[in-house]
Amino acid sequence: MSEPLTVTLSVNGRDVTRTVPSHTTLLAWLRDHASIYDPKPGCGEGVCGACTVLVDGEPVSGCLVLAAQVDGAEVRTLSGLSRGVELTSLQRAFLERGAAQCGFCTPGMLMVATALLEEGRPLDRDEIRDAIHGNLCRCTGYQGIVSAIADVAGGGEGDGR
Amino acid sequence: MTIRPFRYVRAASVAEACALLAEHGAGAKLLAGGQSLLPMMNLGLVEPEVVVDVGRIGGIEGVVEDDGHIRIGALTRHRTLERDPVVAAHLPLVSAAARHVGNVRVRVRGTVGGSLSHNDPAAELPLVMAVLEAELTGNGPGGSRTIPWSEFPLTYFTTSLREEEMLTWIRLPKLGRGWGFGFHEVVRRAGDFAIVAAAAAVRLRDGVIEEARVGLTGVADRPVRCTAYEEAVGGRPPDEAAAASGTAVEGLEPVSDTFATAGYRRRIVPVLASRAVVDACTGAGGTA
Amino acid sequence: MGADEIRTSKADELRVVNRPVPRHDAAEKIAGSTRYAGDYAVPGMLFAGLVRSPIASARVTRRDASKALQVPGVVTVLFGEDVPNNQVWVDVPGQTTEVVALKASMQVLATDRVRFHGEPVALVVTETEDALAHGRLALEVEYEDLPGVFDPEDATREGAPEVHDGGNLLAEWNIDRGDVEAAFAEADLVVEEEYATQFVDHAYLEPEAGVGWIDDDGVINLRVSTQVIEHYRDVARILAVPESKVRVIGPYVGGGFGGKEDMTVEPYVALAVVRTGRPVRMVWSRQESLLARAKRHRMRMRYRTAARADGTILAHDIDVTADAGAYAYLSALVLLYAAVHAAGPYRVDAVRLRSRTVYTNNPPTSAMRGFGGMQVVLGYESQIDEVARRLGLDPAEVRKRSAIAKGDRLPVGQAIETEVLLADTIDAVLERAGPRPEAFGPGRLVGRGIASNLQSYGRLVWLNDSSSAWVGFRQDGSLLVRCGVQDIGGGQASSLAQIASEILGTDLDRIAVHFGDSSLTPLAGTTTATRQLYMSGNAVHEAATTLRDRILHAIAAETNELAERLRMTDDGVEGGDGTIPIPDVLSICKTRNVPTEALATFYGPKGTEVGKELRSERVFPDFTFGTHLVDLEVDEETGRVKLLRYVACHDVGRAINPVSVEGQICGAAAMGIGQALLEEIVVADGVNLTGGLFQYLVPTSADLPDIEAVFLESGEGLGPFGARGIGEPPIGPPPAAIASAIRDAVGARPTTLPITPERVLECIDRARGS
Repeated sequence: MSEPLTVTLSVNGRDVTRTVPSHTTLLAWLRDHASIYDPKPGCGEGVCGACTVLVDGEPVSGCLVLAAQVDGAEVRTLSGLSRGVELTSLQRAFLERGAAQCGFCTPGMLMVATALLEEGRPLDRDEIRDAIHGNLCRCTGYQGIVSAIADVAGGGEGDGR
Repeated sequence: MTIRPFRYVRAASVAEACALLAEHGAGAKLLAGGQSLLPMMNLGLVEPEVVVDVGRIGGIEGVVEDDGHIRIGALTRHRTLERDPVVAAHLPLVSAAARHVGNVRVRVRGTVGGSLSHNDPAAELPLVMAVLEAELTGNGPGGSRTIPWSEFPLTYFTTSLREEEMLTWIRLPKLGRGWGFGFHEVVRRAGDFAIVAAAAAVRLRDGVIEEARVGLTGVADRPVRCTAYEEAVGGRPPDEAAAASGTAVEGLEPVSDTFATAGYRRRIVPVLASRAVVDACTGAGGTA
Repeated sequence: MGADEIRTSKADELRVVNRPVPRHDAAEKIAGSTRYAGDYAVPGMLFAGLVRSPIASARVTRRDASKALQVPGVVTVLFGEDVPNNQVWVDVPGQTTEVVALKASMQVLATDRVRFHGEPVALVVTETEDALAHGRLALEVEYEDLPGVFDPEDATREGAPEVHDGGNLLAEWNIDRGDVEAAFAEADLVVEEEYATQFVDHAYLEPEAGVGWIDDDGVINLRVSTQVIEHYRDVARILAVPESKVRVIGPYVGGGFGGKEDMTVEPYVALAVVRTGRPVRMVWSRQESLLARAKRHRMRMRYRTAARADGTILAHDIDVTADAGAYAYLSALVLLYAAVHAAGPYRVDAVRLRSRTVYTNNPPTSAMRGFGGMQVVLGYESQIDEVARRLGLDPAEVRKRSAIAKGDRLPVGQAIETEVLLADTIDAVLERAGPRPEAFGPGRLVGRGIASNLQSYGRLVWLNDSSSAWVGFRQDGSLLVRCGVQDIGGGQASSLAQIASEILGTDLDRIAVHFGDSSLTPLAGTTTATRQLYMSGNAVHEAATTLRDRILHAIAAETNELAERLRMTDDGVEGGDGTIPIPDVLSICKTRNVPTEALATFYGPKGTEVGKELRSERVFPDFTFGTHLVDLEVDEETGRVKLLRYVACHDVGRAINPVSVEGQICGAAAMGIGQALLEEIVVADGVNLTGGLFQYLVPTSADLPDIEAVFLESGEGLGPFGARGIGEPPIGPPPAAIASAIRDAVGARPTTLPITPERVLECIDRARGS
């Protein structure tokens, strides 16, 4: 009934081709077929954001996209952000601000924040809160996360605390 | 939380998509943005045998402006609508509604055609289509037809599109000068579906409301127009809009769910309806 | 009291402790390389999933795996009869005068009867995840409805359906102190009210998950997301194997909050591994977690409070009923915490408390951050706030008037033995918040509320709590710390590195912490009860101190120096003629038969188990005190609440890592705000209606204001360097602070959680007298 199909994605700069059942989500394709473990399964409803990856530069829920839908696209995940070599300024800000506690929301949070910052517009703390409200965190109360993004956004008021 | 296997087909054209729908009937589902379909599949609520991916069909995406109207392709993403300057200039209700849809990830992928076809009874976009009196184009194997909004949503998650049809265009009139718009909703939490949302379009003339359109979502199985309230404010100055708002709840029988009770929904309908009308009056150049 | 007068003790010169160093695990998490339990894949791995009851109360009449076994890819199915010991036992302390404590039990897989919606009935093991979905659907179970009971008060009535044999009353705790009747007779004011809290879910981002396998020595290995690696004992008992044959490995946990304190996937993964001989992974879906994981206890609390005209609290008469759900889990202890904390951080000379926790056919309830001590904050803080308002007094002053102090006793009889900075925390939040904000427009009402609390840290003293840790040098002077502590995101592991670094001088980036392995790391006990920094921190402190002293004495003997004149640094041992590099130091130790490693066990205080009539010199090691303040705005037509400002202050004794401390305060406060305004697991007639995260309303970044965390340092905590626990305390005050702020804004007080917009409108209506 379900024929396998071949999906090629550029994942963190490398072309990866995998043949998978057609009902494979992008999240499952990355984790179970391409060994990319940083996007996490949190709810399957697109609510928690733990599976956020960038597809052609825009944040999507990996659990709400079929791999087949985005065949040929460029996908970026957290493990590709710094290529394990040097942290981005956003990652360094997260480190300094204690924005990661248990760390499970962190990959998704960093990807949505990276996409936000790549838009290049100035952001105040309320705009940041509004932009990332689709990514849930249960540990930090978002305080360190908002401050870290504000630090990098250069809105200047990184320190609402 | 595993999706039941299905056959995936990518349609290259509207005609191909319709032919597949006709062939497989109820066993097939259209996949555009996937932001409504995928959660239902993940939760096992929907198990299609065939999924028809229409996401890369060309020619039915984007915002097209012509003399009196704006046409929006069904595959236009919410995020595009949210940011489009033409939409912002002429259809600020659509921009406002698009901004309230879910979170950024939903807006990146989700499409206006998908949202309207899905017809969630608490969704924002169907609401503004009701107020702006959209005209939809549905395509089937036999050709296309125009569906006025009043005939489009039938009940919960059901529209008048036939099994073999798909939505391709949404056409909205540019209401022009003299019109103002208002949108208010109550949500428990940022990004949720509305508990109740109200949208209003009002035209003033000589300081009174000449025409008012007021709609609600979250109170029935599809968006409703508050015809009694629209009549009640006709010919009245804006500062009487709030007093007349009790008529907005006439005939409504909202339900209770885990987000809010029916009683609460009934209570806030006049509040949101009048706020939307007041904002619309302000936008039209009058003050309440 | 101005800022300079707020008391805080200054640490002696600390190099690493008390500094905002980035946590070593944070870097891995931020790079995306951390492998949680569900990120693990082992070659040949199978998949396991549970079939659960769709009914709250029923007899199981038929279980048939034949169709499921025919689904391609299904390897095996287990029922209760396939479990060697199909029982999990829980102690229920203090409920009997007999020597042996009462025990409550539940089955690993139900055989005859199910008692809650979601109870596991069968375990299906398959080759693929697709087969698992099919196999579970194909498994046939038939049920015959049995009458159920869904309200704890109904469950205590004559003739109520019995959830378990022997009646529905699981546990009671009573306190009688002083003369309550006399106090009410002399009172100038009596305030009486009933408060209600709801079922709450932990909603950690990482759902329950684990992978198991049998290793080369025949030991069952379970790599699971857990707060308690000691569950290897329970797994061993279930499997009827020696405890030495089960090993639990705990990777970094994606949030616990008490929800991973009981076993979740452990017994099922272990059963599947033993049955098939192959590695097995089990991951719960979010929907399964919301359905079946034990919840925070729903409680109903009646408070009658007697006060003098100056606001002094003379007496409380308190009645608490908790919903223990279908199985005991930790319900008896949760109620005990509620009872001990029920009068709050105040001196109240007369207290009568009656409390009970009662079985129902609702979802089971167990540990969640605050553990009973959290729910009662709504009761005692609303009461003292209401006393202040009705007497026309300042709520802050009234709290300070009755504030407990070092040397005073809680109603149960325990004296507070450490400095109490409660008044300072009140002053701190008021000072930080500044003047009340003005309303932003017509139809908006602004209110301010404060709430103070106490929350224990460290476990109940009769549990003979202990924690062990080992530290040892590598040849190049880098350091290893081994400790069984589970790191659930609160920086449990990295604080151990900080403590070791402070004492032994080793640079933080030359320290590796190995934690969470029940076979390979010394056992450190549960990551619960806000105990890990206190217990494991002290264990590491002791081990590091022992090691340092041992080494310095060896060097002193070698160099004819006085040990007191020597210092350990990252470069080596300093003092006298210069610095001896570390490798040489270690060689010297070797020649002198001095071990360059040390194991230490830190023991918590002892005490006697309490009886139903609570009276004890000591129940908990110590407590953490704090105060929160909230400014909010109410839309008087819709009842929607917007938080404008939130300040939270706790005395943390000593902040081992200030960034971590602030993070705990903000995170716990956010969780408390969620419970205050948004969250509820909705259960109707035993049916859990909350089907997903779209319905379970965890606060988003846009629903919260900046939470300003302020900490004071009395230096008098029982933890290392005078630290107190901070993981749980900040979750208590938010609902009461918000309720009081709404009372301030609209004139009537919400008493039921969550405080929905509709409940706010009810308050507005009540205040208007309609």
